Amino acid sequence: MAQKNGTIVGSPLTPALLSQLSAIGEFIAAPEDFRPDGNWVSTYRIWTCHGFLETGNQNVGFLRIERTAGKANQPFMLKVRQEVVQADGLLHTLEAEIKCLNNQLSSPVQWHLRSNFLDPNRQNMHDLGTDERAVIDRNIINVRARDGHKFRREVGGPLTSDWCLFEAVQRLKFDKEPSLNFDMLEGLSLLKQGQRLSYSGAYPMKMSGKNVFLHRFDQLGDGILPYEYWLDNNHRLVAAVSMNKAYILDEQAEKTIRQRIEQLRKTYRKTKNAVRK
Amino acid sequence: MNKQAKPKQTQHINRREFIKLSTNSVAVLAGGISAGNLFAARKSSQPKPKNIVLIFTDQQHIDTIAAGGCKHVRTPALDRLKKSGVSFTQSYTPNPLCSPARSAVFTGRTSSECGVHINGRSIRSDIPNMGQWFSQHTNFETFYAGKWHLPRTYTLDIPGFKVIHTGIGGFGYLCDTAMSRACESFLRNRSKSKPFLLVASFMQPHDICEWLRLNMENPERLRYPQLAGMLPELPANFNFDNNEPKDIKNRRLRNDPFRGKSKWDKEHWRYYRWSYYRNIEHLDAEIGRVLRTLEDSGYIDDTLIAFISDHGEGMGHHQMVRKNSFYDEASRVPLLFSWPGHISENKTEAFHLVSGLDLMPTLCDYAGVKPPVNMRGRSLRSILEGNVLSWGHTVVTEVSSNMGRMVRTQRYKYITYKDDPVEQLFDMIDDPGETKNLATGSKYASTLAEHRRMLKDWEARLDVAPNVQNTDAWWYKA
Repeated sequence: MAQKNGTIVGSPLTPALLSQLSAIGEFIAAPEDFRPDGNWVSTYRIWTCHGFLETGNQNVGFLRIERTAGKANQPFMLKVRQEVVQADGLLHTLEAEIKCLNNQLSSPVQWHLRSNFLDPNRQNMHDLGTDERAVIDRNIINVRARDGHKFRREVGGPLTSDWCLFEAVQRLKFDKEPSLNFDMLEGLSLLKQGQRLSYSGAYPMKMSGKNVFLHRFDQLGDGILPYEYWLDNNHRLVAAVSMNKAYILDEQAEKTIRQRIEQLRKTYRKTKNAVRK
Repeated sequence: MNKQAKPKQTQHINRREFIKLSTNSVAVLAGGISAGNLFAARKSSQPKPKNIVLIFTDQQHIDTIAAGGCKHVRTPALDRLKKSGVSFTQSYTPNPLCSPARSAVFTGRTSSECGVHINGRSIRSDIPNMGQWFSQHTNFETFYAGKWHLPRTYTLDIPGFKVIHTGIGGFGYLCDTAMSRACESFLRNRSKSKPFLLVASFMQPHDICEWLRLNMENPERLRYPQLAGMLPELPANFNFDNNEPKDIKNRRLRNDPFRGKSKWDKEHWRYYRWSYYRNIEHLDAEIGRVLRTLEDSGYIDDTLIAFISDHGEGMGHHQMVRKNSFYDEASRVPLLFSWPGHISENKTEAFHLVSGLDLMPTLCDYAGVKPPVNMRGRSLRSILEGNVLSWGHTVVTEVSSNMGRMVRTQRYKYITYKDDPVEQLFDMIDDPGETKNLATGSKYASTLAEHRRMLKDWEARLDVAPNVQNTDAWWYKA
């Protein structure tokens, strides 16, 4: 239905709809030798939808996750980098190295997290940076910040983080086993309780002219809009969608976002200069 | 009832109430007692917080705090804030739309005076905003993070403020996460010697607007069957009156539940409510990050925290979604204050009628500075500290490109729109769900007349900006 901003999308985002909205390019199946429990790097473009077909939909960032396997049944490492562009050419970067247990949830046990903001002139906004190291010991997260400040947070039962779930979901079986119940430390900092992850089924869909089957896991819980994780037959996560936000597997994501932030910076500086004149 | 018809006089407002309304409310509203005079009477020795943090949310329905009785959400941060201070339950937005509401809250002047009767306008240049006033008249450094929307939604350039973070237009989830991290770092890394005013302006739970567009079509079945049995019930005032003002009728029909191929069924309405509550929980987590940092960093005892939303959310009451309506769901907003040891703790203030217009004079009062001239609200300090003797406030709210007005008195709510003969009058004590329009009969003619008069008196005092449309509707209203 058209209105001043365009045609309302009307239905929840799926990979097929993302394809229709040109948010997903050509669908490329995972290589045959892809092993979810091996070493890999996946980069996701973060795309947001304003609810209209024609306008307001944007690439706002990327999330890169690099997995380094440990020995059998031993902890493994995830290296995470997320960049999200903000209005007027600000850039927010999160970087983390996470030691994860080799369990179904990839539970984090130790991490180093850094948050930084760059201004439109690419200068680091030092007063807005954080650098934290954390260790979980018997349901207590002990955090030490850059300034020496220490704080503790209590967590309850099984725990994971949103970034760890991007890895964990690829190692789950495609069958309707009992759902996983856990708490989630979003961005390794905000506790979201009462999460449930379950397999929803395999769905045929048409993406860039190809008929494909994708498998869907659903995550519901406090403090989040449901996440739908879409995986190909080789268990590679192709897209994760939560309401109007989609993480889309895309090798070119970093390049796309770097171009966008440069454009935003340029526009901001141009506007500022025009105001000065 | 035709609003031009001479109403028959009845005595529905009792004499005591009438005198109280007439002498206190209208006199204050109309400038009989100016906010400045009230401040002049204050002792200069009143304690002053070292810092002020204003937490601003977007589109938050008033009944969204677990500690306030909402059983559908988990809100540990807002619970903590509520228990540490005073929360108002009779608090109204000056205008149930983003930019107009924000202009009024940040200036203490009505949206029509600010020249912001619609979204995306700038505040009139001769009316100072909070940042400009504080940076010129106090020793507070003024910082801003998040949504502004006057006119741009996100910008590094806000008069009177140093902007520490902007945001991402229309995407609350990602935007608020970065914003609250910026506030966290700002508080942790900052030297504690200099007082500050920090506005943390969150976008959530506004993402419900995107949700509505992505769920406009009524699905054949619940997308997540595991939610069956967990969805919140429909509100008691789900049905609506067919004899409403045209603006409301049209607004309802333009909204998503009535625009798809088929109208929403009750399960989809309930799913919408469930989704809204999840946005609230996301917001709560982000606010929690800011509050936790205030506590961890040793600011909490020296900091006045104020909390407000620009407007509410329809949430299916009267089958309305979004905002822009005078029904309580869109026009009543959460308003909380906390300052340990100075403001009453764990107090729910359910009697006094207050408005977003009261925020500017309140913060000025706590900062120890007179507010700008012509404040349309009053400092809430006496209520917050339990010293109020007389209040009798009446609230006036504007809406819809300056087309509508609401007058809320202690017992009644009166609603009128330009060029619309249909008025609404609700008894907010006997009918808080606003289901029985009392304006349709003659029994409440004198009450209607009294409220029309209050509105006229109020409008006569305003200095409406020249760019505002439909102004004539209010100056000459009988």
